[in-house]
Amino acid sequence: MTRRPGRESIRSVFDVLPDPSARRWQLPRISAEDRWVGGVAGATARELGVDPLVVRASFVILALAGGWGLLLYAAAWLILAIAQPRQVARYLPQPKAASPFHRYVAVAMVVLGLLMVFRNATFFVADIVWPIAFVISGFLIAWTRHRDADGVAAVVRILAGVVVGVGGMIAFLTLSSGTGFADAFLVLLIGVAVILGIALVAAPSLVRIGRELDDERQSRVRADERARVAAHLHDSVLQTLTLIQHHADDPARTAQLARHQERALRSWLYRPDAATGFGTLRLRGALEEVTADVEDEHAVSVKMVVVGDATEIAVASADRLAALIGAAREAMVNAARHSGAPRIDVFAERLDDRIEVFVRDTGVGFDPSAVGSDRRGVRESIEGRMRRAGGTAEIRTRRGAGTEVVLTMPIPPRADDANHTAASGTTAETPVSR
Amino acid sequence: MTADVVRVVLVDDHGIVRHGVRAAVSGADPIRLGAREWRIDVIDEAEDVAEAIEVIVRSRPDVVVCDVHLPGGNAAAVIRGVIARGVTAKFLALSVSDAADDVIEVIRAGARGYVTKSIDGPELADAIVRVHAGDAVFSPLLAGFVLDTFSADLDAPIDPELDRLTAREQEVMRHLARGYTYKEIARQLTISVKTVETHASAVLRKLQLSNRGELTRWAADRRIV
Repeated sequence: MTRRPGRESIRSVFDVLPDPSARRWQLPRISAEDRWVGGVAGATARELGVDPLVVRASFVILALAGGWGLLLYAAAWLILAIAQPRQVARYLPQPKAASPFHRYVAVAMVVLGLLMVFRNATFFVADIVWPIAFVISGFLIAWTRHRDADGVAAVVRILAGVVVGVGGMIAFLTLSSGTGFADAFLVLLIGVAVILGIALVAAPSLVRIGRELDDERQSRVRADERARVAAHLHDSVLQTLTLIQHHADDPARTAQLARHQERALRSWLYRPDAATGFGTLRLRGALEEVTADVEDEHAVSVKMVVVGDATEIAVASADRLAALIGAAREAMVNAARHSGAPRIDVFAERLDDRIEVFVRDTGVGFDPSAVGSDRRGVRESIEGRMRRAGGTAEIRTRRGAGTEVVLTMPIPPRADDANHTAASGTTAETPVSR
Repeated sequence: MTADVVRVVLVDDHGIVRHGVRAAVSGADPIRLGAREWRIDVIDEAEDVAEAIEVIVRSRPDVVVCDVHLPGGNAAAVIRGVIARGVTAKFLALSVSDAADDVIEVIRAGARGYVTKSIDGPELADAIVRVHAGDAVFSPLLAGFVLDTFSADLDAPIDPELDRLTAREQEVMRHLARGYTYKEIARQLTISVKTVETHASAVLRKLQLSNRGELTRWAADRRIV
């Protein structure tokens, strides 16, 4: 379902996105790996950018609130499951708030609000719901994401969790039922002792069940993956091999088929995350689309290297990026048509305040002064396009010495650090996941 | 002038690749490097890690052209195995893969160069001769990867010797990524080819020894120090 850019200029940067529907917001997608019951918590957690455990605990608390949590979960599950087939394969949710702390506070407030609403419903047993809510919250504060902080921050977090859990419980007990502080504390101790006792007894079987569930989930994921690999191989590679046999006496066509399939398979094998997220642009993805087209249409080999692509480029610079990609495409097409070289080298680097793209061939070159000013060609489609968008183009060439087109486009500096670390999930090559 | 001989061992688990590489580099015209001319002689081949180590120890080649992915391990395992047996040989990694992990691993293990299998015969022969002469061989992809790694923010105290590229080294890497050969870079930057090679070797050394975040994090994932 890819919209291929026409042979003419690329009018909008969205022409080069692999899938137009990736622009719109989509319902969270249930994933097989993150699925305990129905996958609702996992999908919601991914959408919000929080730990799935927190969302699961929220549903548990809400379920205790007169069973409303169960209804919510079932409703969400229905919606997500029904909407599932229509979604695009690659969708990367945007983190909603810059700081994780804000997101967790948001979740906590939503749960608190819902509890307030359900408070007056039937089956809401306040004496059970509130203490459990406090305990679970305290536990989560201490436990969630403790892996990424050392030393003082971790200790503070654990203490905060204990204070919220224990303190909240005691406060609730003393205030609501009028018992004294000492009595409340005693009740708490008894409760903890009971829980510990049950836990000790039940622990081994719980662990075993947990492990079995995990194994089952893993083998399910592996089977799905195997099926996916087989389907992909069957579809693309085998068909290409069949086609190649039919065109065995047409070396140009055979080379083109082989090149196309090599590119697709290489990208699929080594860069499975190479997709654009909605609302953002990746230099690499856009360039890959263009180099693929040029390779297919002009029977040349285009080797592409991209450096510094880890951060997305703001949508505000979409016009500039579109002009840059368009000019690069024209440069490649020129090289393919006129240079006589079998290979074109493309190098793109995203620096702090600009993007530089070099399109080079070691072909026949040309004499730039000999090109008539009435011939639009290079002047308009490359230099003019770059200039109008605020960039520059330089064409270095000499008869017999090849050609290099240097495109420079200023862009706003990288976003602040929060967005930087949130966005650079995949790295080049791998980390470069190149 | 008679040509000197570079003795080469090929390691790849696909017979057709070994056959193709052998034909491509043996049949090439003698390669001139500096004042000498070189010819390439493929003296032996191997199919997997264990066989490769045995063959290399037995025949003591000058250069080993080794595929990154092998049955029983990978090129890095071959390099470590050979070093453990006290044999020195220069390794040129040859791979169809573009993946960064493969590149880092084989360079950190000690390879002197990394080229992809889409390289043509004369270029591969040239790469073998240059590795034998002690130079570093960078494909455009490897150069791009170097630029990426060394431009990322540093999250640990830096060793100015190892953790940063000099301006000149960055220039050389950029030109390599743009597809320039050493000779073309020398002409472009008006320096000698020898100087370009010196810069490239320095960058290779940094890639091998630097403790930059990405490189050590990757190594920690694989429990290799």
